[in-house]
Amino acid sequence: MSLVLSDITLRAGDQRLLDQVGLTTRPGSRVAVLGPNGAGKSSLLSCIAGERVYQGRITAAGEDTGAWSPAQRARRMAVMPQSLQVTFPVRVWEVVAMGRYPWGDEDSTRQWQQAAMLESDVWHLRDRDYQSLSGGEQQRVQLARVLVQLWQQRQEGGDGCYLLLDECTSSLDPAHQHAVLASARCFAASGVTVLAVMHDTALAASWADHVVLMKQGRIVREGEASLLCDAEVLEQTFDLPPALAGRYACQNGVWLPGPADKA
Amino acid sequence: MLMHRPDDHASPAAPDGFRPTASVLIWSGCVALLLCAFLVSLLSGPFPVSLADASSAITHLLSSSEPANNAQWVVAELRLPRALLAALIGAGLGVAGCITQGVFRNPLADPGLIGVSGGAALAAVSVIVLSGFLPLSALTGPVLLPLAAFAGALAVTWIIYRLGTRQGHTQVALMLLAGIAVNVVVGAATGLLTFVADDDQLRDLVFWSMGSLAHGSWPELLALLLFILLPVLLVMRSARLLNALMLGEAVAGHLGFDVQRQRRWLLAAAAMMAGAAVAVAGVIGFIGLVVPHVLRLLSGPDHRILLPLSALTGASLLLLADTLCRVIIAPAELPVGLMMALTGGPVFILLLVRQSRRWL
Repeated sequence: MSLVLSDITLRAGDQRLLDQVGLTTRPGSRVAVLGPNGAGKSSLLSCIAGERVYQGRITAAGEDTGAWSPAQRARRMAVMPQSLQVTFPVRVWEVVAMGRYPWGDEDSTRQWQQAAMLESDVWHLRDRDYQSLSGGEQQRVQLARVLVQLWQQRQEGGDGCYLLLDECTSSLDPAHQHAVLASARCFAASGVTVLAVMHDTALAASWADHVVLMKQGRIVREGEASLLCDAEVLEQTFDLPPALAGRYACQNGVWLPGPADKA
Repeated sequence: MLMHRPDDHASPAAPDGFRPTASVLIWSGCVALLLCAFLVSLLSGPFPVSLADASSAITHLLSSSEPANNAQWVVAELRLPRALLAALIGAGLGVAGCITQGVFRNPLADPGLIGVSGGAALAAVSVIVLSGFLPLSALTGPVLLPLAAFAGALAVTWIIYRLGTRQGHTQVALMLLAGIAVNVVVGAATGLLTFVADDDQLRDLVFWSMGSLAHGSWPELLALLLFILLPVLLVMRSARLLNALMLGEAVAGHLGFDVQRQRRWLLAAAAMMAGAAVAVAGVIGFIGLVVPHVLRLLSGPDHRILLPLSALTGASLLLLADTLCRVIIAPAELPVGLMMALTGGPVFILLLVRQSRRWL
């Protein structure tokens, strides 16, 4: 089921954080949202997540997502925020278990929680205080929490479900970056639509099947990942000097999945 | 070594590694503490009471027959209602503190410190003094006072919430400063009211400012059942929301909670408990601060455990403190609010020092 955004405008005071944004995603697609700082990427995600009051309409299979109750939304949409501050000394496995709160089965789905923690490589940290972890480790714990929220959809088919990741790899080392995106790929393969805000264009080229380039609250270009190999597009979107844009385009070309990867 | 099978469709049982911190030991410890505190409070005091007297007093009370001797009368009419009062108020203060800390996402957000109890006290004091001038005297009593205190507590909670919270983030310094301001205003207003108060009212005012359970009797107790026990039981259902709020307002929303609505009603419940406690016993601080904090260290921050344990431990703490206050300078007695302030103050400073490294 497609997620369709039409004419989304988000204002903060006089400023337009998003300006008549329109976007359609196919079920099971891997969408990377890229753009310079302040382009409105996170704002776009927060609108889809129902955190902000926007003008315009977001529909999933024709249903207005603005009409979903928080509980309904949480069973179809898992969101990983860019950063979060935890107030009390909570332990890693307790954070991950909260991912099952929308279903009310956190005590009976320990096996899924374990699997999600193994997949995010935080199982060995399960008894640690979350606040004592490094930034990257915290990010992986949050990822495990988000993954476990849609765990049965991944097994039983996740059409109509959405995974929103806001810079979920920003503090990760290269190995974990690719491992995390491989998990996201698994979800997409089951029909879950994955929308990821990213900064690393090479990482996006290696993972996404659809890229959305934003600038000043608008979508300037969208299309296949090969768009990221176009120096001119990078130059315009990110205001890069031509020489740098050329290098990045070249580098991204190397990262595009080849015929061998697709098999 | 555990097998890793992510696509296991078998019924998901609990593998090793999910060790809850709150062991049976902590639970039974808290229950045992409460029972002991209750018993000690029934048996201690200037008038000697034996265990047999206490138990037969309770059976007489349940069968609503007259107490057989003086000791039984002391238990039935003085110590038992007072012990139940202390337990209820302690439980209410513990749970209210647990809630305000969870909702404001800060371990320093105690109803006493952020001015909620102060607001309740001001409202209650106003009712006591002004009822002499207005035709309200028929209404004052076990119900009007808690209602007024609740209104005062609610008003302050709302002000603090609006002042200290910007886009779901609580500004601790601002919140505590606002609490100080409220407490100053309350003190000044109480001072003003002492000018117009008569002798009886003066005695009441002093009691408000220090906090005491000496006025406990059965009608107050019935009112407290409504204003404290009911909300205590109701908020237990919100434990998951308070857990999710540890990860922030946005995440709690992503996890399916109607955060704004539930947060408002949780704060109203906390204001009701704190307000009712103030209405009956005056300002008793620091239970709401210390009890959840210590329990969090012992059993972890899971509110499904923390809320009931806060109720049990808050009840025990106030029972013990009140018993001590009755016994220590018998036949006179120390206001229990003073005792709590004396012990709670240093704990608060300790907390502040620990916190200062992280937030302030």
